[in-house]
Amino acid sequence: MKQILIQDTNGNLRKELRDFLVSLTSQLRDRSLADTVQVVTVADIGIYQKGIVAKVLPEGFVYGNLEVKHIPEIIEKTIQKGEKVAALALDRKNKQMRIVLRNCGRINPECFEDYVACDGYQGLAKALEMGPEKVIEEMKKSGLRGRGGAGFPTWMKWNITRGVSGAVKYIICNGDEGDPGAYMDRSVLEGDPHSVIEGLMIGGLAIGASNGVFYIRAEYPLAIERIQKAINECYARGLLGKNILGSNFNFDVEIRLGAGAFVCGEETALIASVEGLRGYPRPRPPFPSVKGLWEKPTAINNVETLANVPYILFHGGESFGKIGVEGSTGTKVFALTGKVRNSGLVEVPMGITLREVVFDIGGGVFNNRAIKAIQTGGPSGGVIPEQFFDTGIGYESLQKLGSIMGSGGMIVLDENDCMVDISKFYLGFCVDESCGKCAPCRIGGTQMLAILKRISDGKGEDDDLKKLNEIASAMQKASLCGLGQTAPNPVLSTLKYFDAEYKAHVVDKKCPSGKCASLVTYSITKDKCTSCGMCARVCPAEAITGSRADKYTIDPAKCISCGQCFDVCKFAAVLRQ
Amino acid sequence: MGIMKQDLDRIKEESGKNVSKNWIRVGYSTCGVAAGADVVYQVLSEDAKARGLAVEVKKCGCVGMCSAEPLVEVNVEGAPHVFYGKVTREVAHKIMDEHVCQKKLVENHIFEL
Ligand SMILES: Cc1cc2nc3c(=O)[nH]c(=O)nc-3n(C[C@H](O)[C@H](O)[C@H](O)COP(=O)(O)O)c2cc1C
Ligand code: SF4
Ligand code: SF4
Repeated sequence: MKQILIQDTNGNLRKELRDFLVSLTSQLRDRSLADTVQVVTVADIGIYQKGIVAKVLPEGFVYGNLEVKHIPEIIEKTIQKGEKVAALALDRKNKQMRIVLRNCGRINPECFEDYVACDGYQGLAKALEMGPEKVIEEMKKSGLRGRGGAGFPTWMKWNITRGVSGAVKYIICNGDEGDPGAYMDRSVLEGDPHSVIEGLMIGGLAIGASNGVFYIRAEYPLAIERIQKAINECYARGLLGKNILGSNFNFDVEIRLGAGAFVCGEETALIASVEGLRGYPRPRPPFPSVKGLWEKPTAINNVETLANVPYILFHGGESFGKIGVEGSTGTKVFALTGKVRNSGLVEVPMGITLREVVFDIGGGVFNNRAIKAIQTGGPSGGVIPEQFFDTGIGYESLQKLGSIMGSGGMIVLDENDCMVDISKFYLGFCVDESCGKCAPCRIGGTQMLAILKRISDGKGEDDDLKKLNEIASAMQKASLCGLGQTAPNPVLSTLKYFDAEYKAHVVDKKCPSGKCASLVTYSITKDKCTSCGMCARVCPAEAITGSRADKYTIDPAKCISCGQCFDVCKFAAVLRQ
Repeated sequence: MGIMKQDLDRIKEESGKNVSKNWIRVGYSTCGVAAGADVVYQVLSEDAKARGLAVEVKKCGCVGMCSAEPLVEVNVEGAPHVFYGKVTREVAHKIMDEHVCQKKLVENHIFEL
């Protein structure tokens, strides 16, 4: 049995696809192949904007931009002889690379044997053989940098903590993951819990800690459940506790739950929270590596960072260091969301371009609208407009563009997204989440938000943009913790790239993308209206009335400027001004 | 005495021998469950049992295609190995009927990763 998988990858070739399918099935029938070849239309073939695409199984040849005239050749060559039709073939490279997500979706996360079958705990076994110094040496060769946001070299953090003397030390896994739109860490904790535990154990061995703590937000019940089960399983087999794998290494792990405050992802606030105190950051130094949990030397690592560690130990730091680019090695997991066709998790080698991630893997913008920018790094990051999409992903390259790698949120924005609105959203998030301990963040954030609200309400004043810049710079310089220091970033980067859009709001009192409700009005042009009534049906405010004879009109007094009529009208009869 | 390195090697080796040739995996992380993976898992396991099929239905984490959840990966002898997305109760029945039993692929739900 052979299969031909078929999809219209442009999304607008209904008639062409139908003709193609009709012709293909009849030609197969004519050649008495109907019983041995199954033609299947599929939901997503993983290729975009290549017209009608077919994949022939079991050969796996993929053909693009197909037309009816190509059918005989495909049947004669590929179906009957198993040969490739080179002229039609698309070369389909898988641009993803799975290290962190190596087991996610492949193993049963609640099954210890499944993990062990995929080389689980072999990295730990090697680490125990090598001893702490060599483990740190291996991590240095790998070039792994922290995936929690700041990008600090992991080997260096471990080496510093190892160098601080103390009988009791801790290693903490930061599973707070508070960035809106980011859920990579949750997925790893849920899909491959043992890999994070193994990473934590190797880290503990390296720094000389015999206590590990998982800090996971309480909103992640399934992650907590799976980590707890995995920990129990390790204890039951003696893989946690005393004399692990017959060595003299002892290690205990416990879980602490966070209440979901963004600031508790910051390491000093996290430590306070684990100690049962209010989640307030404190000034550094002393750094946690010197004085951390219970005043003992402590290393804090992100979930994704730790999930890389067993792989590095097992496969060697050198081979890991060859993946990616200079200064940013390995892979990065991104939670690709927003106006992208395939939202989900992607793991790519560092150095791949933003364009490849958004278009080749993500499939571009849905509805084929124009892409405007992507947002990376969440509330601490910024936007990167489309003209920079050929930049390769790396810690420094993204920083140069005014954004950051961050923990891995990547939100795609299209022409309907308003940049003032976006920065209002992120700043609003930081204002809500600010712990209030220091004035620059508490007051500065609130004032910036008030200005942004004013701008989007059409009440912006001439010097508002200047004021935004001034307050932002004060917050960056004087805030106590990373939350306040980075909170202005989304505003600054949108100001940098979309200055004209801000000016349109402030000077012309217009919102070019039609998002800021107070700045747009909707009306219906009678000439274009076909009286289909779709708009009246979707309007949540019942502001649209009409009939076949009179056509439809919007009552401005009732209209809430939600724009749903604009989106639904197929005849471009709804005007947005 | 706790587990030793040799035990890890042994578990690894044994599991290599024991992989069943016919299996179905259901993405069972938060994204999958929120989209209805629990129902899908239940339907598939019950169907397999009711018909006495030699196919193992397993839970797994998220492969990353969250927009296509619930996601089901099917590997049975005699038919290609594929992922089905946006699987509902009805589609789950079809997977058993058409893919597992008749070795035919189910229309309109295949997602290539
Ligand atoms: C406001 C704020 C929130 C943070 N949230 C997280 C988080 O959710 N997860 C995380 O791993 N790191 C977070 N960090 C970074 C941590 O402070 C710390 O740098 C990180 O956990 C170190 O791990 P790494 O070196 O493996 O990246 C946050 C930092 C700040 C300032
Ligand atoms: S910067 Fe903000 S979140 Fe951080 S300590 Fe100051 S008030 Fe709290
Ligand atoms: S949806 Fe467009 S065409 Fe239909 S009634 Fe409304 S304005 Fe007229």
